[in-house]
Amino acid sequence: MPEIFSEGFFPKINLQEGTNWATDFVRDVIIPRLPEAVAGHFPMELGTVLVMLAFAGIFVAVVPLLPLVLVLAERKVAARFQNRTGPMRVGPWGTLQTLADGIKLIFKEDYIPPQGDKLLFLLAPYIIFACSFAVFAAIPFGDGIPIPSDFNIGIFYIMAISSVIVMGVIMAGWSSNSKWSLLGSLRSAAQIVSYEIPLGLSILTVVMLVESLGMRDIVNSQSGGIFTWLIFRTPFTFIAFFIFFISSIAEVNRTPFDLPEAESEIVAGFHTEYSGMRFALFFIAEYANMFAVSAIGVTLFLGGWQGVLPGYDFLGGFPGFVIKTLGLVFMMMWLRWTLPRLRVDQLMNLCWKYFIPISFFNILGTGIWGLIFEKDDVWSIGISCAIIYVGLIGAYTVAGRNLVRKPEPQPS
Amino acid sequence: MDKYIRNIYKGVYTVLVGMRVTIRQFFEPNVTHQYPYQHDFEKKQNVREIPKGYRGQLYNRIEDCIGCKKCELICPVDCITITGDKLPKGEQLWDSMNVVHLKDGREVIGIIEGDDKKIMSEDSMTITNITTRLGSQEVIDRLEASGDESRTETFSTEEVSRVVTRNPVVFYLDQFDIDMSLCMYCGLCTEVCPTQCLVMKDSLEGIEYSSFDRTDLIFNFDKQEMYDKDEAENTEAAD
Repeated sequence: MPEIFSEGFFPKINLQEGTNWATDFVRDVIIPRLPEAVAGHFPMELGTVLVMLAFAGIFVAVVPLLPLVLVLAERKVAARFQNRTGPMRVGPWGTLQTLADGIKLIFKEDYIPPQGDKLLFLLAPYIIFACSFAVFAAIPFGDGIPIPSDFNIGIFYIMAISSVIVMGVIMAGWSSNSKWSLLGSLRSAAQIVSYEIPLGLSILTVVMLVESLGMRDIVNSQSGGIFTWLIFRTPFTFIAFFIFFISSIAEVNRTPFDLPEAESEIVAGFHTEYSGMRFALFFIAEYANMFAVSAIGVTLFLGGWQGVLPGYDFLGGFPGFVIKTLGLVFMMMWLRWTLPRLRVDQLMNLCWKYFIPISFFNILGTGIWGLIFEKDDVWSIGISCAIIYVGLIGAYTVAGRNLVRKPEPQPS
Repeated sequence: MDKYIRNIYKGVYTVLVGMRVTIRQFFEPNVTHQYPYQHDFEKKQNVREIPKGYRGQLYNRIEDCIGCKKCELICPVDCITITGDKLPKGEQLWDSMNVVHLKDGREVIGIIEGDDKKIMSEDSMTITNITTRLGSQEVIDRLEASGDESRTETFSTEEVSRVVTRNPVVFYLDQFDIDMSLCMYCGLCTEVCPTQCLVMKDSLEGIEYSSFDRTDLIFNFDKQEMYDKDEAENTEAAD
């Protein structure tokens, strides 16, 4: 008998402790509803797996709908920034426009470049798609909503799985056998690998304060209203939030960091050669990623599903979480229609010369802060908010007068 | 170090300035014109009015057309098709008559009492034998509503913009078709038209007449009922 069938090869789920939400669900909800003859023999392990699969199915069904909404929102917001109305024809106020686009993409020809690497070409969109979906497995959406896989290393898992996206991008660029695709994928690789460092270092400040990598622990530590949100906990996390946010924009390849898919330079970057449903997969992954990154930002810095005031539901719970996340998504769109695209050297300059040193400074500062103050010390929060306030006001007044001057007229 | 901090500050500051500019635009009213669904050109400040002399859809006022086929000849793309025939010698569709164009856009077709040449010097003109058969729809409606049996109306000279004399018609226009899908809008046909009855519309309906079927763009301007003498006599007898 091979070893694989022997007892104890697979780790068994510990049913007695009931630490797994799916096991709880099977024990508390499903088994009481079964007929008595079956209930005693119901396999708990199988039931647990089935419940988990069902919950994952909900995500697989719901998350592709996100881009449907977000693409329309993006187009409408972009139109507002340019005093236009955006799509108006399909459905009332153009609300069915993305659905029509999706149907169009499904019926388009699925072209595979004959000179390219066929296997990698077919595989690449699925890797990107799967990775951007896998991020959703560890995001805490609300108090009563179970996290599909509640790791104690949630944020580490998210960082790891979102790094795999680069592989898909490089595969897509290489296998297309197109200079635009290859250039785009190389740019994307350089960009994502670079910006992952300030991203990770910013997350590290949060992890140092919370002393846990679990997403649920991070959210639970911000339960005391808006000033206990990790963005206001120390002045360093305040800076870290902005570094995290800008780095995450670079991470999802959005303007002003959209060099990998710069239309005016390299057509569409790594997905130039894709069409039909495979292109739609890239598109869905891009917008799902955008939402996921915003959700992570909300979870880490803006209190997750915790409300503004302790004990009140305002901006709390699942609706509050979604509102805060969409707020960050709106910020991304706002930045997109404000800033022009960076040059490659500017991009690397910003990352390596500014974000990474400041992130290290943040980690140092957060460590010192953690040594000085006790965890969840009210004084520390007060001092932190005061420092942030004074810093902002100071930057606005004193530095504003001294640093930003109009260029003096040159003698002719 | 000073330059480094200054750089960071400038970066943040300029981004914030830019974001302030864009968010102001976010709350501005939009300028989009939902064009095929909204025709209110005049209400939107950013849309100019259609200029005078715009070369829009061709329109032929068949009552004035003399069937000379000059337009058909000069048309570079052969989009005008005219077939017609002369009536037997001595026959004519109607007698000579006057078309009085009023300043409010209406037109009255009839015979002016008295000497034609003196009309503009007098204070008012009386038109008898007003024919509803060829007049504009507004005049027909007005005459029928008033129940005026005498078919005579008097207008003051201030109301009248111009008077045209229409000669007796001695031909029969069988077909006057213009295929606007072929037309290149050169306007040559309107220039050669001796009676100025073939015009290009410079109004809104002269611009928007697109259709999903190409055959809908062939416009027929012949009015068969105009030449239908028996029916016309019957209506006159009934009156």
